[in-house]
Amino acid sequence: MTEGMNPAMLVVMGAFVLAFIFGAVANKTNFCTMGAISDVVNMEHWGRMRMWMLTIAVAIVGANLLYYFELIDLSQTIYQRPVLPWLSLLLGGAMFGVGMTIAAGCVNKNLVRVGGGSMRSVVVLMVVAISAYMTLRGLFGQWRASYIDPVSIDLSQWGLSDQSLPHLLSALSGLSEKTALLITMTVIVLVLLAFVFKDKRFRSNLSHIIGGLVLGLLVVAAWFLTGNIGYGEDPETLETVYFATNTRTLESMSFVAPMAFSLEMLLHWTDQSLRMTFGIATVLGVVLGSFVYAISTKQFRWEGFASVEDLRTQLIGGVLMGFGGVLAIGCTIGQGLSGVSTLAIGSFLALAGIIAGAAATMKWQQR
Amino acid sequence: MEFNKEFDASGLACPMPIVKTKKALADMASGQILRVIATDPGAVCDMAAFAEQTGHALLEQSTENGKFVFYLKKA
Repeated sequence: MTEGMNPAMLVVMGAFVLAFIFGAVANKTNFCTMGAISDVVNMEHWGRMRMWMLTIAVAIVGANLLYYFELIDLSQTIYQRPVLPWLSLLLGGAMFGVGMTIAAGCVNKNLVRVGGGSMRSVVVLMVVAISAYMTLRGLFGQWRASYIDPVSIDLSQWGLSDQSLPHLLSALSGLSEKTALLITMTVIVLVLLAFVFKDKRFRSNLSHIIGGLVLGLLVVAAWFLTGNIGYGEDPETLETVYFATNTRTLESMSFVAPMAFSLEMLLHWTDQSLRMTFGIATVLGVVLGSFVYAISTKQFRWEGFASVEDLRTQLIGGVLMGFGGVLAIGCTIGQGLSGVSTLAIGSFLALAGIIAGAAATMKWQQR
Repeated sequence: MEFNKEFDASGLACPMPIVKTKKALADMASGQILRVIATDPGAVCDMAAFAEQTGHALLEQSTENGKFVFYLKKA
């Protein structure tokens, strides 16, 4: 069926299908990264956090096995550049964490909510898209590039070609790259799975377990789609390229920058140089997948802003998520799932920043 | 169903319905019933998880005029 289809088309259609499933499953299983942190802070309930950790564990195993068997090259991802902008990652992560808490969910959750009928989330996402685009290429971007991103550590000065934990272990220990990869992957995943499954209540929660497995596998499938199926010779230029990705390299699930690129595409539709990409297709897929699930289970309901204060809070949340998500090179899904699945040091920093920002905001909300 | 106190969380977005419910219950005596009204769809799952986690019984859950209504009995 796929013979003769150009790789760009395959990547875009594949992205839509994967994201459609992601949206439906996330809605069905109540997957929510902000909710995971909120459940812990507000009621010491670790169920959804365990689900998120299971998703991460599955994504780490899948992505690194694909890398081990040389089916994809994770060292080419945006998360693995040998420069560690630690201030951007921590500050951006914290800003995103604050933003998602006051905006009732991260960008992915807001996309799922749009599918469920929330016009409030439509407005939040429009603000996220504008803020993110301003941070990529506009006014916020100038501040980012001038004052925040330069606070970084150049890892190449120590002979490191990327910032993955396995590569660091290999450099320090002398182990081969592949051995170091297997060891690092196994240790981290075993620790995660031990935490996830030690709770009896979680072990009997089929919805959370299946949700974690499926969402993790979707992240892996996305890596394979963009890094293998979508990697090849461009018939027009004869260069070897990654087809249909905004970053021009392999990508997996991520939603902040794709919001910006979706807005750009809508605004510059007649610009022939712009193409439908993996990221834009995932934005559409999540919304539609969530919509189909909501309609089929009769859970679709229109939702708007409740008050002036609600509008103000959510607008601020949208600006913070757009700025923070770009600054941190990803959101709860972009860094928290996809980035972490590559075992990049920076991704763990960004994730820590997000969780800290969200938890601090929730503590403040309790006052 | 009779209740001792009512808290209207209409318009509050996740996670605020749970945060405010927890606060409302803190001032109540054991055995008293709190009626919570919410509009956030996430409140349905959150309230069930909150009840299970904290031991406050979720006596009833329904929909009235498009809003979610919960009755919680303080443990």
